[in-house]
Amino acid sequence: MRILVRLLSTLLALAAAAAGALLALEVAWQWWRPGSAPLLVPWPAWQAALAGVRWDSTATRLAAALTALGGLLLVLAAAAARHRTVRLREPAPGVSGTLTPRALARLVGTHVRAREDVAAATVTASATRVRVRVTGARDAGAELAPDVTEAVSTVLSGLPLARTPRLSVAVEPSGERR
Amino acid sequence: MSRASVSKVSKVSGGSGGSDAAEVSEVSEVSKASEKALARSYRSERALTFGAGALVLGASCVALAVGFGWLGTVRARRPVLDPIAVDWLAAHAVPARVAAIVAGLLLCAGGLGWLARSLRPEGRPDLRLDRAVGHELTVAAGALADAVRADAEAVDGVARARARAVGSAERPALRLDVTLRDGADLRRVWPDLDERVLARARESLGLEVLPAAVRLDTGTANRRRGR
Repeated sequence: MRILVRLLSTLLALAAAAAGALLALEVAWQWWRPGSAPLLVPWPAWQAALAGVRWDSTATRLAAALTALGGLLLVLAAAAARHRTVRLREPAPGVSGTLTPRALARLVGTHVRAREDVAAATVTASATRVRVRVTGARDAGAELAPDVTEAVSTVLSGLPLARTPRLSVAVEPSGERR
Repeated sequence: MSRASVSKVSKVSGGSGGSDAAEVSEVSEVSKASEKALARSYRSERALTFGAGALVLGASCVALAVGFGWLGTVRARRPVLDPIAVDWLAAHAVPARVAAIVAGLLLCAGGLGWLARSLRPEGRPDLRLDRAVGHELTVAAGALADAVRADAEAVDGVARARARAVGSAERPALRLDVTLRDGADLRRVWPDLDERVLARARESLGLEVLPAAVRLDTGTANRRRGR
């Protein structure tokens, strides 16, 4: 998403520069030589077309709706292009660090899967939240969810994370039981 | 006598308070520099893209409102290029033209500046250790990166490392991309990177502070199992 916003930003910059240059050029040219008016952009034709279209016509509404959609997409792309890394505590002033969410999920996943009572586990992580879904082994007790929660919170509090993410653990039915 | 001592005390406390404040601001400045080294900033690109999108969205929403007659049913039935507006512009032709030309030039200049900013590559400054004339000492960005990389790869639990200088020539910083080995203990690796790699870099360069940013990741080989 960040690459997309960089690309969009570059294209928008080009478009703004070109539009500004054309606007200044056309207005100046029309002022200087009204007779040979359109220089590059056929704006008199646009003018005639716009003068013949009403605000409540379908074409106007459709064009406005499509433009609104384009603007919304730009806004959403810009809003989504933020850092998704997990900050680490500074070991010394002037040293900052991040961990990718994937790496955090993997660290947690390694610990969870190493347990005897867990058959399989899925971990997703972000800076604010860690979600663990475990499938219990055949001999797993009823206390699997609290046990895993406690183990993972111990792991998380041991990691040098700047802020401890919220933890949610869900146990999925294994299917082999019953 | 007592007055003198009082003034002396206040002077001392004032002085120490000032140096404390200076120290604190220096520390926060270094922290800020190291935070900035974490990743190239796209804040302005994001803000401008967001602003352009919001502008387009707002304008087309107003156009939609006019089109559906929410701003008056008479207005909705008028042409998009309203003769009233055209007549008004014709009556104020000179200021309208000047305004249009100025707006066009500003838009063009702003767009070109934005373009240059978007396309500018991220700097790799050399480290100037001594700026005194006749004693200039510069560590090339590449040499620094290679030395730090070798140190980082020697740390237990690190599979691969990549280092580069970032920031400006006045405020260089170090960015270290570290790929952790499978099963590496982050609690050990993280302090080790500071104590063994960054501290050594500072020491060998003779710098009190060298803002540094470390980006940790695990390898991509078994990506699916990690989720």
